[in-house]
Amino acid sequence: MNTVFKWFNDRLPIVNTFERHLSKHPVPKKVNFWYLFGALASVVLIIQIISGIWLMMPYQNTEEGAFSSIEFIMRDVDYGWVIRYMHTTGASMFFAVVYLHMFRGLLYGSYKKPRELVWIFGMTIYLVMMAEGFLGYVLPYGQMSYWGAQVIISLFGAIPYIGESLEVWVRGDYYISGSTVSRFFALHVVALPLMLIALVFMHLVALHEVGAGNPEGIDIEEHLDEDGVPLDSVPFFPYKVLNALVGIGVFMTVFSIIMFFFPEAGGYFIEKANFEEANPLSTPEHIAPVWYYSPYYAMLRAVPDKLGGLIVMAGAIAILFVVPWLDRSKVNSIRYKGIFSKIAISLFAISFLTLGYLGTVPVTELRTLMSVICTAIYFLFFFLMPIYTSLESTKQPPERL
Amino acid sequence: MIKIFIIIFSIYFAPSVFSAESAPCGDYGECDDYSYDLYNNESLQKGLATYINYCYGCHSLKYSRWGRIAADLEIPEEILFENLIFNQETKPGDLMTGSMIKRNAEEWFGVAPPDLTLVTRSHSPEWVYTYLRTFYEDDSKQYGVNNLVYPGAAMPNVLSHLQGKQVLGCKEVPIIASNGGVKRDENRNDITEEKCGYLKIKESGELTQAGFDSLIYDLTNFLVYVGEPAKRDRERIGWYVIFFFITFTALSFLLYREYQKDYH
Amino acid sequence: MTESTKNNKRRKVLIGMTAAFGAAGIPFAATPFIAAWNPSAKAKALGAAVKVDISKIEEGQIVQVAWRKQPVFVLRHTKSSISNLPSVETKLADPNSLSIDEPYRDLYPTRSKSDEFSILAGVCTHLGCSPKYHPEVEPKPWDATWTGGFFCPCHGSMFDIVGRVFKGVPAPTNLKVPPHNFQGSILTIGEDKEIT
Repeated sequence: MNTVFKWFNDRLPIVNTFERHLSKHPVPKKVNFWYLFGALASVVLIIQIISGIWLMMPYQNTEEGAFSSIEFIMRDVDYGWVIRYMHTTGASMFFAVVYLHMFRGLLYGSYKKPRELVWIFGMTIYLVMMAEGFLGYVLPYGQMSYWGAQVIISLFGAIPYIGESLEVWVRGDYYISGSTVSRFFALHVVALPLMLIALVFMHLVALHEVGAGNPEGIDIEEHLDEDGVPLDSVPFFPYKVLNALVGIGVFMTVFSIIMFFFPEAGGYFIEKANFEEANPLSTPEHIAPVWYYSPYYAMLRAVPDKLGGLIVMAGAIAILFVVPWLDRSKVNSIRYKGIFSKIAISLFAISFLTLGYLGTVPVTELRTLMSVICTAIYFLFFFLMPIYTSLESTKQPPERL
Repeated sequence: MIKIFIIIFSIYFAPSVFSAESAPCGDYGECDDYSYDLYNNESLQKGLATYINYCYGCHSLKYSRWGRIAADLEIPEEILFENLIFNQETKPGDLMTGSMIKRNAEEWFGVAPPDLTLVTRSHSPEWVYTYLRTFYEDDSKQYGVNNLVYPGAAMPNVLSHLQGKQVLGCKEVPIIASNGGVKRDENRNDITEEKCGYLKIKESGELTQAGFDSLIYDLTNFLVYVGEPAKRDRERIGWYVIFFFITFTALSFLLYREYQKDYH
Repeated sequence: MTESTKNNKRRKVLIGMTAAFGAAGIPFAATPFIAAWNPSAKAKALGAAVKVDISKIEEGQIVQVAWRKQPVFVLRHTKSSISNLPSVETKLADPNSLSIDEPYRDLYPTRSKSDEFSILAGVCTHLGCSPKYHPEVEPKPWDATWTGGFFCPCHGSMFDIVGRVFKGVPAPTNLKVPPHNFQGSILTIGEDKEIT
């Protein structure tokens, strides 16, 4: 056994990789629950990949077959409903943990030097996930799939000169047809998951190079023991793994409660209109995106101009990429930042949640006004960040965790 | 300062922000309460019988199979075939594709009657339960009836001989004061006003009102079942899965706490 | 932080319990994914029993029907071919179908529920090709003393007219007899309430 293992280890960095990334990888010894969502996101990614592969088998990527093949999965395939609800619940839970993971980053300055690349890979993952989620939502070819896709693809029409022909090109038809469904299927099940997996790999490699952050926002590498291991760290295995295991247990409990008892989550995870097959001749009375896009949808509706709306929406995501260079604060963690940062991040969180709500309900004049205000707060949070982070007085973080 | 402004702002506007939705049951307003009971096979069987007798002629259940319903509702296949399946060619594994040809249907009704397999999911059980009980006489319509929940529904009320003829009428209702209480005069009698748009039975049908409600209860219950036949299994299995993860969480928490001693 | 506060026994017990409990969940988690590969309700419906009108099949004629998209042979034997059956038994590997689960054993020489029809799954028990019917009693390239039966073109397995396998051929067992039922002139293949 030992010689066989040695033969492999001489040719493949097994022990090295294991020690570097698992058994001896140092992680800060004191973190809080906010630091669990990364691990949870990878658990959901695995759930999505496995349940997705199984859904692919009976799903039909045709105009005639798509909707009924979903019902076929729900009824005629043994335990097909388990697999489908796993995937639909997983999609929403993926976004839920990723949003919390991102907010953790904003709270504790996880994007700050030297973790800029970790943040950028993470934001790219988020961007690909948004595309992945959208494409997946079109596949059941229900009313909401159809009209949601109609709205989103029409956004391409806002691009000057090429817009309209781009729309037709994306659809491959004059409406969201079987051609659209089958190309979205290929992207959803192969192209984007490959990108996601590659990006997650890069995200983790970059993270392990610079080391994980902590809620105090201090650099644990400054105090090393005689072996060069940070004094305030514990090895990833078993300590961090056990910590994650508790988190995974709680998370999976919540996941199962939703999946087995509230899979539609009151129309937020699976929208009611999607139980009707797509009908290109009749728009449902109320079109709302799935909850995880709704903040951006509210921003889109807040701008009374097609191209302007698109720019605002794209800008809202694009601006997240440059956060590492907007934050001029001397400290990383919100705990030691000044009062302006604390007010700013609270307002930002409130306005993002409000936008999330506003994006799911029909428009009224008042709601549009609120969307405009919240959109403004969202952008001001970022635009003013260089000013308030450099002007405010900060507290001195401790030396050690 | 801005924070305070926002709080005041949202408190001031909150009621109007949250209440702009149209009523879930159309002109009827809020739907009537409904709670399904998927373990009541008798109710589900009665609902199936009502569906086949009154609805299936026009509305297919095209994602559902005869045999699955028979097995789930514990109806012996012979009884199902003798009483509810009128086509001799039908096999237990067949989908319930209905007996009406789509093109004829469009000629007769203007639109093809929709498939109802998922009606309780695309609307809600409450909606279906209320809709089926709120037809009223309206001579201006093609079939002489209209519906409060779904005004302009292009559908005859096939159950009117059971329910009786229902009309819209007016009645005296108490006036609600702005504080939410009922307005009263100096003798402490409720002050009332005449309001219209209420349903009342003009000519009674074969069933009492309670009997008809119970018929529609069973029918809706069946439609809830057929919208998601696995629902019973899902909720049953769910308890075991949740129990598993709670126990797992407890065990891993103990383990985590034990190992935490190393660095605390 | 001292070694004495570590309770190694407690740790071992807890690790054992957590691991065992987690591992016990794996078969349950795998169940839906394994079960999803079973034939679906649709496949089962399409694979339901098929009915054949046998009144138009003449003596010596073979009719091929599809049950579960697999060939099933319905043969109407002549009286003489049935009476000749014992004479080929010396060539056969298992004349009484003892090595397989024979549904209608000892009923008729035809191996079916009828004294003149044979109902055989047209799938060679070797590697699944469909054997061809050669009723002629004449020397064949594969057997100089051929008295009629099935010959599989894939790997040369031979069966007699009621599907019994010859000695010295690759096929290990006799052709299978699918469950069936006769009601007058209607033969139902794929379903027999008397056997489950």
